[in-house]
Amino acid sequence: MKPEHKDIVRAELLQRLLGQHQSSPSSIEATIFDTLYEERKRLEGITDPVRAAKESAFYDALHQRTLRGSEREHLDVLRTLISAFFEEVLGHFDPRVYALATRALPVALSGLLRTLSPIRLLEAIAGESAEGVPPLEAGAPSEPRTSAARARNGLVQQLVLSGQVAQLQALAQRGTVILTPTHSSNLDSVLIGFALHLMQLPPFIYGAGLNLFKSPLVGFFMHRLGAYRVDRRKTATLYKEVLKSYSGLSLEMGYHNLFFPGGTRSRSGMVETRLKLGLLGTGLDAYIHNLIAERARPDVFIVPCTLNYELVLEAETLIRDHLAEHGKSRFIIDDDEFSKPKRIFDFLRRLFALESRIELVIGEPLDPFGHRVDAEGQSMDPRGRPIDRRRYVWTRGRPCHSPQRDREYTRELASSIVSSFHRNTVLQSTQVVSAALFEHLRSLNPELDLYRLLRTGGSSPRIPLIDFYPRLESLLERCNSLAERGGVRLDQTLCQGDPIAVLNTALSHFQGYHERLAVRRVGEQLEHIDRQLMLFYAHRLRAFDLLPSQSWK
Amino acid sequence: MTDHEYDICVIGGGAFGTALAHILASRERRVALWVRRPELAEEINREHRNQRYLPGLALCPSLQASSELEALTRSTPILLMAVPSRHFRATARQLGDFLSAEQIVVHATKGIEQQSYQRMSQVLREESCAIKLGVISGPNLANELVRGQPAGALVASRFDEVALALQAQFSGSSLRLYRGRDVIGTELAGAFKNIVALAAGAVDGLDLGDNAKAMLVTRGLSEMARFGVALGAQVMTFGGLAGIGDLMATCASKLSRNHQVGQRLARGESLESTAASMPHIAEGVFTCRAVHAQAQALHLELHIVSAVHAFLFEGWSIEAVLGELLSRPTGEELAMMPSRGA
Repeated sequence: MKPEHKDIVRAELLQRLLGQHQSSPSSIEATIFDTLYEERKRLEGITDPVRAAKESAFYDALHQRTLRGSEREHLDVLRTLISAFFEEVLGHFDPRVYALATRALPVALSGLLRTLSPIRLLEAIAGESAEGVPPLEAGAPSEPRTSAARARNGLVQQLVLSGQVAQLQALAQRGTVILTPTHSSNLDSVLIGFALHLMQLPPFIYGAGLNLFKSPLVGFFMHRLGAYRVDRRKTATLYKEVLKSYSGLSLEMGYHNLFFPGGTRSRSGMVETRLKLGLLGTGLDAYIHNLIAERARPDVFIVPCTLNYELVLEAETLIRDHLAEHGKSRFIIDDDEFSKPKRIFDFLRRLFALESRIELVIGEPLDPFGHRVDAEGQSMDPRGRPIDRRRYVWTRGRPCHSPQRDREYTRELASSIVSSFHRNTVLQSTQVVSAALFEHLRSLNPELDLYRLLRTGGSSPRIPLIDFYPRLESLLERCNSLAERGGVRLDQTLCQGDPIAVLNTALSHFQGYHERLAVRRVGEQLEHIDRQLMLFYAHRLRAFDLLPSQSWK
Repeated sequence: MTDHEYDICVIGGGAFGTALAHILASRERRVALWVRRPELAEEINREHRNQRYLPGLALCPSLQASSELEALTRSTPILLMAVPSRHFRATARQLGDFLSAEQIVVHATKGIEQQSYQRMSQVLREESCAIKLGVISGPNLANELVRGQPAGALVASRFDEVALALQAQFSGSSLRLYRGRDVIGTELAGAFKNIVALAAGAVDGLDLGDNAKAMLVTRGLSEMARFGVALGAQVMTFGGLAGIGDLMATCASKLSRNHQVGQRLARGESLESTAASMPHIAEGVFTCRAVHAQAQALHLELHIVSAVHAFLFEGWSIEAVLGELLSRPTGEELAMMPSRGA
């Protein structure tokens, strides 16, 4: 964001948020006290006493002013709170550093993803930044000149971009784009950053959780991306309003955004089916603001995409969290594999050694109402007829906001994004083998509930391959049939449909990365070891009705 | 001054569509009625009646009908569809050629599409750009509506402005509209009650008495609610006008087509001869197939639906169906009632 835009955003954000509260003076007081209450509660959990004391003193002073003060004073306290939150969210954002990092980023990322030594990584950044880095085209790498360039080309080959890339590029010229990916791993944002560069798009602005900045290496780059900081421990409504307003205003100014609409990494391993509507709705809100202001480029396009890994870096922590809390997951995990650089390196080394492909599929772009949009930015109805989308927000011929109506429109958008997630999910061997094995265990142990099955493994610790292959073959056929109907995508190995090759690919991936093996081959049998991990990978198929519903209970 | 000729257009010149348009015209609303056949439009405009569907009843003289879909709908803010479920998709697709994004589309069709099992609002969504959708349903026997007798219905939409716009159109009329947000429940209740009405007609045809009919209607309501909640409806909707309200009217009234069909079939007439003597086949016959198949896919046991299906399509005699129903073990009355969705 340009420096002059940052000042405009600050002023506009203050005006909008104060305006919202000004209509009811009692709401201002209530908002202040709610915010102070939530913040003090948060401070109780802070381990750094110096920081806690400093923040407490700040909030105590505001509390006193509110108790004593007039309505005017209350407004001033509210302004102070909004400004403080805004500075915290965007305060570390330095446009000069951002500009430099934008140039250095691609090399840094490829170095990160390829290099085992942080020193080599830093050398790579320094070397390539000086040379200047031309953007690459996926699938057509140029002749590498340096080690970092070779590393980058390796990444180009392993990060496979497909889907509506050209349309995304075209729409990024015509309007403002919100990229909405599935979310499995903290590596997602790093890889998407790299993919944006491959597609010759500028970095997208996005709200990254504080835990991302905590990872020593990745945090180094995060600070310098288009990321603004989101503290998920801050639960005050006012803080969330500041985040949403910032995101909305950046969209109005034409900055492309990256939202993870699932809100957090999928704990279960399933493809997201429920999305967070609050942040998603800022796209429509920005669009309406643009129409009212009669801006030259009012359009906001939403581009769903899926990131598909054969192995997920944080799988063990995520599934354990999912199971431990019966779906009420801890929202913030800051002690997972992502916080341990060695685990990231091990993970990437494994992926590269196996020539594993990470597939990023760009889905069909959508308008804020969930309709498909063509490369010219024209919205189409489900029968392919053009729609004048401005009229969705008209009241008596003029664009206007209507919170209830707009929430419902955003629900429509969410439903289209979920459907795109499903169609563009690329199933892979680890997932299908886990699902087939899980289905087999379920059929052998119908009397056990899910948790007991996960704990004990049921009656047969080993499954003869002769029994397993028909099960796998049958599931592969169901996967293929769904893929032919356009309901899902399959990776290269699955497309070939050879159960032996599929099993071998899955086993070689499971071997050696996760702390425990999910499953291994022992002679002519399969031994299931970490069934929780198996469930995590199997869950990728859950949204597709490929297994009997009893399998998951 | 507005840039459109009509505020609302009713699409469908059957009994219910004509009755709704008549009520609106009687309140001096700027309403148009689209009918498929030009002759029917002529009859309504000149003779102020719809002899085929509402025999012997006089329509409001100011009610104007036409078979020109585009002219009536292109800039009309509210469209109210009342066409049979089997013609719904084709009409919606045709309408989709003229619709623009700001228009409100509400339907009053009580049925489920046979092949796809989709509700009418889902069909509308697939066939047009309309998003601001709604449904009207309730105990609304068309003949009584045309006579000006008081009635109530539910207008359900996820968009408040849709329900409010419909309420405004019908305000002060003999049809009292209540608002709701449960589109799924309202649509499924309206479709499902036709199956129960067929069964209620059969109970009357066999002279099994009022106790038997009350039992059938109550158990039918329970099946309706279980089916609805399994598909995402709110259970309380089935206790309202679109649920129990519509069941009471349809199962008690000799005016209901579904009831009439059930009664005649129970007395030994064939489905073919019954259908041949009526302007069109009762919705319940089609809906039964769709609900039966869908319930099987959902592993739901719906005994009344299965009984009606066996009688209509599987060659069972009425005695055998009745014997099967009455010989089922009785358990706890509310054992299978959904606890969620309230």
